[in-house]
Formats: sequence, C-alpha cells, structure tokens
Amino acid sequence: MLSVKNLHARIGEKEILKGINLEVHAGEVHAIMGPNGSGKSTLASVLAGRSDYEVSEGSVEFFGKDLLDLSPEARAAEGLFLAFQYPVEIPGVSTTNFMKSAINEIRSYRGQDPMDAVQFLKMFKEKMAYVNIDQSLLSRALNEGFSGGEKKRNEIFQMAVLEPKLAILDETDSGLDIDALRIVAEGVNKLKTPQNATILVTHYQRLLDYIIPDFVHVLYKGKIVKSGNKDLALELEERGYDWIISALD
Amino acid sequence: MLEKTLVDSIKQNHSLTQAKQWALEKFIDKGFPTSKWEEWKYASLKHLNEHHWQWSPETLSVNLPKPAWKHSAIIQTLNGNTHSEGALPQGIALLSVSEFMAQNPTFESVWKARNPILDQNSLYDLNEALTSDYAVLWVKKGVKIAVPLLHHYVVSGQEDTAVQSKIFIYLEEDSEITWFEQQRSESSHAILSNYVQEIWVSKNAHLTLIKDQDLQQSITHVDHTFIFQQESSLVDAFTFSINAAYLRNNLHFYIDGPQVVSNLNGLYVPGEDQLMDTHSVVDHRMPHSESNELYKGVLMGNATGVFNGKIFVRPDAQKTNAFQSCKNVLASDRATMNTKPQLEIWADDVKCSHGTTTGQLSDEALFYMRSRGISKATAQTLLLLAFVQQVIDKLAHAEIRAELSKKIVNKIQASLGLTLS
Repeated sequence: MLSVKNLHARIGEKEILKGINLEVHAGEVHAIMGPNGSGKSTLASVLAGRSDYEVSEGSVEFFGKDLLDLSPEARAAEGLFLAFQYPVEIPGVSTTNFMKSAINEIRSYRGQDPMDAVQFLKMFKEKMAYVNIDQSLLSRALNEGFSGGEKKRNEIFQMAVLEPKLAILDETDSGLDIDALRIVAEGVNKLKTPQNATILVTHYQRLLDYIIPDFVHVLYKGKIVKSGNKDLALELEERGYDWIISALD
Repeated sequence: MLEKTLVDSIKQNHSLTQAKQWALEKFIDKGFPTSKWEEWKYASLKHLNEHHWQWSPETLSVNLPKPAWKHSAIIQTLNGNTHSEGALPQGIALLSVSEFMAQNPTFESVWKARNPILDQNSLYDLNEALTSDYAVLWVKKGVKIAVPLLHHYVVSGQEDTAVQSKIFIYLEEDSEITWFEQQRSESSHAILSNYVQEIWVSKNAHLTLIKDQDLQQSITHVDHTFIFQQESSLVDAFTFSINAAYLRNNLHFYIDGPQVVSNLNGLYVPGEDQLMDTHSVVDHRMPHSESNELYKGVLMGNATGVFNGKIFVRPDAQKTNAFQSCKNVLASDRATMNTKPQLEIWADDVKCSHGTTTGQLSDEALFYMRSRGISKATAQTLLLLAFVQQVIDKLAHAEIRAELSKKIVNKIQASLGLTLS
C-alpha cells in the first residue's frame, strides 16, 4: 500500500532524510527505530504532509497515488493517519465536534453523504467502548489541559473513529507510564486487521513488547541502515545503537 | 481647525444656552481629533474638519424588525430623538432630563459633580453642545425586569449628516434590567453618529448592557458610554462591534462605592476598510471592588483594530481586584492591531493583572486538524469560531446569544470567504 523510494527531505538548508526506501503491505506492522535526531519524526511528518519540510528527491506512492502531491486533508481522506508525538491543544473545539467535522469532510471527499447526528452518535459510542475512553474527555476542548496519557488515548480514539488504512504512530510511547502504554497498545492491537497497516516510530523497544512488529528498521542519519524482524529490536534493546553505527561510520 | 462655514452652520441651526455655547467653543477650539492626539493616534477623525455636514438631522421614522424573542419594551432613538414604542413595564419611565431633574432635585447636584475623564474628547463636547433635553430611562427602586428592554438606535440621512444622540439611564437602588441595544443605520450617505450614553447604577442595582453594533460602511460611529456604579452594584457589559467603516467605543466605568463588580466583555470583528477602536477606562475610586475585562478581536482584510485599556486604582481603592485580557487574531496579512494596556495603581493592597496577545492562527493547530481530514478553510473557521465563542458564551440570554453568534459567524465567514460544511 505504501511505497517510499529514495525519499530526500530538508528543512531550510538542512537535509534530514537522505534516501529512504520502504515498502509497507496490508496486514503488516513496521517499527522504525533509531537514535535521537536520526530523522524518525521527520519521516512521519513528511508522510502526513507537514509543510515545514521540503521534499527534494524521491517519491511516495500510497495505493498507487502520488502521496506527496496531496494536501494533508486529502492524505487523511485517502486513509492515512498520524498519531502525533505531541498532540496539539485545540482551544474551544470539543473532540466530538472536531471528529464530526473530520468524518463529514472525509465522507464528502469520498463522495459519500454526510453522517447524520444519530448515526454519528451511535458510531461514536461504539468506538468509545472499543478503546475504553470516557465521555467527559470527549466533550472537553480537544487536548486542552489533558494529561500526557489522555492525549495519547485520545489519539487512539481518533484513529478508531477514522479507521485508517495506514496508521503512523509517532513516539506514541513517549511520556507514558506503563499502564497508559498498555492501554494505548491494546487499542492499537484491537484496531489491527489484515487490510490495514501500522508504522510505529519509536526510540525504545518498550512499546514493541505490546505491539509485535513484523519488520524493524533502524534509521540513522536520514537513511534506513538496517532492517530485520522483531529480534532486531531485542538486540537493539540489549546492545544499543552503537554497534550498528560504528560499523557505518 | 474647523472651517468657519462649519461653525456658522452649527450656530445658525441651533439656539444655544450659555452652557452649550461654552461646550461648543471647547469643541471649536479643539476640532475633531487628529492622530497627533495620543488617545486618537490610530483613529484620527481629522478629515471631518473639512467635511460639509447637515447639522440638523431629518426626522426619522423607521420600524426595525421585531425580534422573535420576548422583550419587555422597545425604545427607539432615531436620529437623536428618543421615544418608546408602546407602553413601558410598571416601574420604568421614559421622560426628558429636565422633567427628571425636577423630580429628583437632590440628585441633580450629585450628577453635576460626577466628573468623568474627558480630556481629548472633543466629540463629547460637541454632543453636549447640540443635544438638549435628552431622554432619561428611569428604573424605579426595587423594580426587576428579567425580560430584556430592546433599544433601537438608528441614524440616517438623505445627505451627509452629523447626528448627535444622548440618553441617560438611571437605575435606582435594588433594581435590575437588561438593556439590549441594536445600533443600526439606513443611509448610503456619510453619517457622523456621535452617541453619548450615561448610566447611573445605584446601590445593589444590576445592569446587563449589550451593544450590537452593526452599521453600514458609510458610517462613522463614536460611542461614549459612561457608567457610574454605586455600592454593591453589578454591571455586565457586552460590546459586539460587527460593522461600520469607523467604530470608536469610549467605555468608562467609574466605581464610586465598595463591593462593586464591573464586567466588561468585548468582541470586534473588523473587515476590509473598517477600523474598530476600543478605549476602556475602569476607574477604581473606592475599596473592595472588582473589575474583569475580556476583549477579543478577529481582524480581517486590511482592518485596523485598537485596544487601549486604562485601569486606575486610586489611593482609597484598597483591596481592589482588577483584571484585563485582550486577545487578537490577525486573520489577514494586511490587518493591523494596536494594543496598549495602561494601569495606574496608587493603592498598595491590590491585585491587578493584564495581558494582551496578537497573533495568527497556530500553524500547528491547523496542521493537526488537516491531518484528520479537515480542510484548511474549515479548520480556520472552527478555530476562529471557538476563539470568539468564549466572549459570546458569557451572554446569559440564550436567544440573544444565538442571534449574535450567527451574525458574527456570518461576518467572519463572509470576510474570509470560508464556509463550514
């Protein structure tokens, strides 16, 4: 579903991604790991369409479409979802109203009729039960005054509502205690189907105890320098990144 | 300097008493404010000195649409003439200031000693000179009317006209009203709408004052609202500045007793070729009182916004709590906002705070929303509406709140070319 070829991206004069190649198929879970500053979050941002980055070379196809040519909202409507490392506070807009707008704009993009209030409420309640989130959180202004755990749980809830084909979770484990981590991971696992795929961007192996990846990629200085299965993550946990880096430098 | 022809025209059209002659001399001496006057730096009216005005407005008869919601009375001020449409509720009277003072002889001397801050306000002098025997709305002791009184303030002219209007609202002890004022115009000609509203709020009285300012692009509107609050009184003031080429609000609160609460809420949404200027004054003259100011602005097109918030805490006003907040969004690269909080604190045991911010919608927030499938235009609309809603939501009256909310949403969407699906 996702085909990244020789992707280069820069912010200002600084090149951060220096030729990424990545193939993701339906049903797969990919983990992208790497030391700080290796370009992990940049890759997530570029795929979601953040305008701070300029793609200077390479291509990204998503179900055969040129992803880089689409606006962030069109990418979402095509089935891409980014769970933010730092979910943004949206003062004055409740999660409920926010999601209602999102759902109906996506439906309009896909040529579907808008969901009426009754249908929406029914679907919303099902998803709430599914990821075990409280109603009171959803009627509050989105992310405003939420704890770190509440913000991440809300991201997973949004993912449940939007049912993306490809979910990119950017450092979803950062700032979470072990209980919150487990709840978030359970949500992600529940939402996994043979038709969708997940990319986990993470610094630590910890999250991978709960979400088992099919592939692990090590990103360093803007390139994928090593790929393997879940055992690679365990090896990284044990030995750190130095053994890979020293072999390269 | 005012043109001599203009001065002659004023003198010709109005027979002036000695006091009014004196007020006119003051106005003639100063003229219309220019950008050299500190308080009018961004809102000069210098060009009016050259303008040929009709100084005697035509008699007006208009019927604005009546609201669907319940109102206790309709009072009209049409080109400066105030009357009530139909009967007023029990305990409320509308009479001329001379009749009112004749019936309240002890109040007259108190009133004359009220001493508002009038430096750099030549338009007040002009109004003083040209308004005679204006109307007083008298709310008697203990009268509480929960249903809003609707005030239609309208200016109009078949030629370029200067309109002077004045009204005085007197709330006796323990009384309570909601005054909802719709400021409107019906003219394609240039109109100088110079309005003075003075309000006396006696002990334990409660006033909710709502101004809905929606005038045409040919209108220059200057609104002076001076509120004098006595012991334990409460005023909730709302100013919604929606349309007019030029809107200037001089909103003054004089806190003349202890345990007073003054709440000032304002929202201005100027668009292309519009200027909206708020100059608020909260003058804490007595101890143990509280004032809260919440102002917000969305500036669109090439709009200019001004906020100057003065808070005085006089030496006697110990234990004062005074808060001020002014937040603005520049929704266009061509819009400008000028803010200036101005606190003068002479007492030592007080709590005062102020904060002003002016910025654009957060790129982070917009990207976050777009990454969920919300288009840029919808994201902008949602953020702006949430931003203004905080002020609108403070209105307790549900139907007025809904009416104003709709109007403000429409203005913002039309100015920015946004739609909400």
